[in-house]
Amino acid sequence: MRSQFDDDGDRPDVADVVAQVSQAMKRNLRRFAPLAVVLLVLVVSYWGVYSVGPGSQGVVRTFGRETGKTGPGLHFAIPFVQKVDVVSVEQIRRMEVGRNSDDRRNNEARMITGDANIAEATMIVQYRVADPSKYLFRLRDSEGTLRATTEVALRSVVGRTNIDDVITTGREKVQEETRATLQKLMDEYQSGLTITEVKLQAVDAPDAVREAFHDVVRAREEKEKLINEAKGYQADVIPKARGEARKIEREAEAYKEQRILRANGDGAKFSSMLAEYGKAQRVTRQRMYLETMERILGKVERKVVVDKDVARGALPLLPLGQMVGNPGGGKQP
Amino acid sequence: MNRGLSLLLLVLICLAVAWSSFFVVDEKEQAIVTQFGEFKQAVDRPGLYFKKPFLEEVRRMERRIMGSDTPPAEYLTLDKKRLVADPVTRWRIVDPLMFYKTVYDETGAKARLDDIVNSELRRELASHDFGQIVGNERDPLMQRVASNVRGKTKEFGIEIVDVQIKRADLPTEVQESVFARMRAERDRVAKQYRSEGQEEAAKIRADTDKERTILLAKAYETSEKVRGEGDAEGIRIYADAFGKDPEFYSFVRSLSTYEKAMSEQSTIVLSTGSDLFRYLMTPGK
Repeated sequence: MRSQFDDDGDRPDVADVVAQVSQAMKRNLRRFAPLAVVLLVLVVSYWGVYSVGPGSQGVVRTFGRETGKTGPGLHFAIPFVQKVDVVSVEQIRRMEVGRNSDDRRNNEARMITGDANIAEATMIVQYRVADPSKYLFRLRDSEGTLRATTEVALRSVVGRTNIDDVITTGREKVQEETRATLQKLMDEYQSGLTITEVKLQAVDAPDAVREAFHDVVRAREEKEKLINEAKGYQADVIPKARGEARKIEREAEAYKEQRILRANGDGAKFSSMLAEYGKAQRVTRQRMYLETMERILGKVERKVVVDKDVARGALPLLPLGQMVGNPGGGKQP
Repeated sequence: MNRGLSLLLLVLICLAVAWSSFFVVDEKEQAIVTQFGEFKQAVDRPGLYFKKPFLEEVRRMERRIMGSDTPPAEYLTLDKKRLVADPVTRWRIVDPLMFYKTVYDETGAKARLDDIVNSELRRELASHDFGQIVGNERDPLMQRVASNVRGKTKEFGIEIVDVQIKRADLPTEVQESVFARMRAERDRVAKQYRSEGQEEAAKIRADTDKERTILLAKAYETSEKVRGEGDAEGIRIYADAFGKDPEFYSFVRSLSTYEKAMSEQSTIVLSTGSDLFRYLMTPGK
C-alpha cells in the first residue's frame, strides 16, 4: 500500500477502492459468510438480549409505543426498534420528608395545626411501583412529585388536627389520613405508585415553645402523682378505720356478754346464799354481819371506841384533823 | 463515474430520505409537524409516523403530567393575616398546537401559569379566613382555585390536574406571636392539670375522711346499742335474782359496800352504844 503513495503520488480513486473491496468480498464470500453471520448474531444478541430480575417487570416500547410487559427471565428486544425499561415492582422504596433545616423561613418540617399552633414533623414514606407503565410514561419526576405531594397531604391533615392530637394521641390517625390523601393525589397524577406506609417520625413543638409543652407533660404527671397520693391516703385510712370500727363493735359485744354473765353469776350467787339464809335467817344474818365487821376492823389501823354516854359531848372535841393528818399517830384513847 | 460509487451514493441518499421521512413519538411525548412554520399535523399517540422528508419538521412536547412549583409568596387572608404559601400546580399539555402557538414551550408556559395561579390564589385566599385556609376549607378552596386556573389556561392547550398549597406558613414575625400564644395556652393547660390534680386529690381525701367518720360513727351506734342490750339484760337478771328477797339483798350488798369502802388508812370512831359493842360492857342476857 505504501509503495502506491510513494511511487507516483497519485491517490487511488475512492471508486477503485470500493471496487477492489467488493471484488475481494465477492471472492471471499464463501469463506467470510459464516463468520459474518456469527458476528451479526453476536452483535444482535449483545444489543437485544436483556434480563429481568425477580420482582421486576420489563416494559417494552416498539417505535416508542408501549407494546408489552415481560416478567422475570431472559428476553429479547429488537435492537434500535424496541426499547426496554426494567422496573422493580416489589422493592419498597423509602423517602424522608420534612428534614428539619436551620433556615427558619424554609423549614420543611414546620406546619400549622388545626388550632393555629405550629408543629414540626418529619415523615417517612414507603412506596413501591405498582404500575410500571404509568410510573414511566404518565408522570414526570415521580420522586419529586411524591415529596411535594407528601408535604401537601401531611399539611392538609395536620391543618385539620389539634396540636395535642398531632403530638400525642392522634398520631396513628394523622398517619392513616395522610397516607389516604397522598394515595388519592398520586392516583390523580397517574404516578403508578402505591403508598405502602406513612410513618410520622419526630413530631414535636418548635424549639421556641418546647419547654412549655414539656411543662404540660410534667403538670399531667404531677396531677397523676397528687391523685395517687390521695388514693394512697385512702388506701391507708379506710382499712384502719374499718379495723377500729370492728374493734369498737367487738368491745361492745364483749361488754354485753360480760354484763350478762356477771349478772348471771351474781344472781346465782345471791340465789344460793338466799337458799341457805332462808333456813336460819337470824343466825346467818348475825354471822355475816359480824364476819364482815371483823374483816373491816381488822384491816383498818385507826379505830376509836367512845363510850356512848361520852360520845355525845366528846365527839366534837376529838382531834380528828390531827389524827387524819398524822397517820403514824397510833391509837388514840 | 464508477458503478460502485453511485451505488453507495444511492444507498446514502435513500438512508437520508428514510431518516427524514420517519419519526418516532415516544410514550412520554407528543408532537406537532410543521412545514416552514406552518402547522401540518398533531401527533398525540406514540408510534412510528411518516412525514414529508426535509420539508416537514417535528416538534416534540411532554405528554406526561408535570409539576410547576411556584415560588412561595405572601398572601393576605380575609381576616387580614399574612400567610406564606407555596403553591404547586400539576398540569399537562392536551393541545400541542395551541400550546405551541400561545406559549411556545415549557418555560413560557410556566411563566404564564405562575402568574395565573398566583393571582387566582390571591383572590381566593383574600376571601377566606386564615383558619379556614389552613383547616377544613382547604380542599374545596384549592379545587376552586384549580377550576378557575383551568378556565384561564385552556387557551394555552394546558389541562390543570390540580393546584395545591405545598406549604402554608406564617411570616417569621407572626410566628413569634404565635409562639407567645402557644406558650400562654400551654401554661394554662399546665395550670389546669395541676389544679385538677389538687381538686381530685382533695375530693379523694374528703371522701376518705367522710367514709372513715361514718364507719366509726356506725361502729359507735352498734356498740352503744349492744352495750345497752347488755345493760338491760344485766338489770333484768339482777332484778330477777334480787327481787326474791330485797331486804336480804340490801343487807348483803351493804356489807359488801362497807368492806370495800374502808381502807387501811380509814379512821373509825365507834360508840360503845352501837350494836357491835352490845357485849363490850356487859355480857347481856
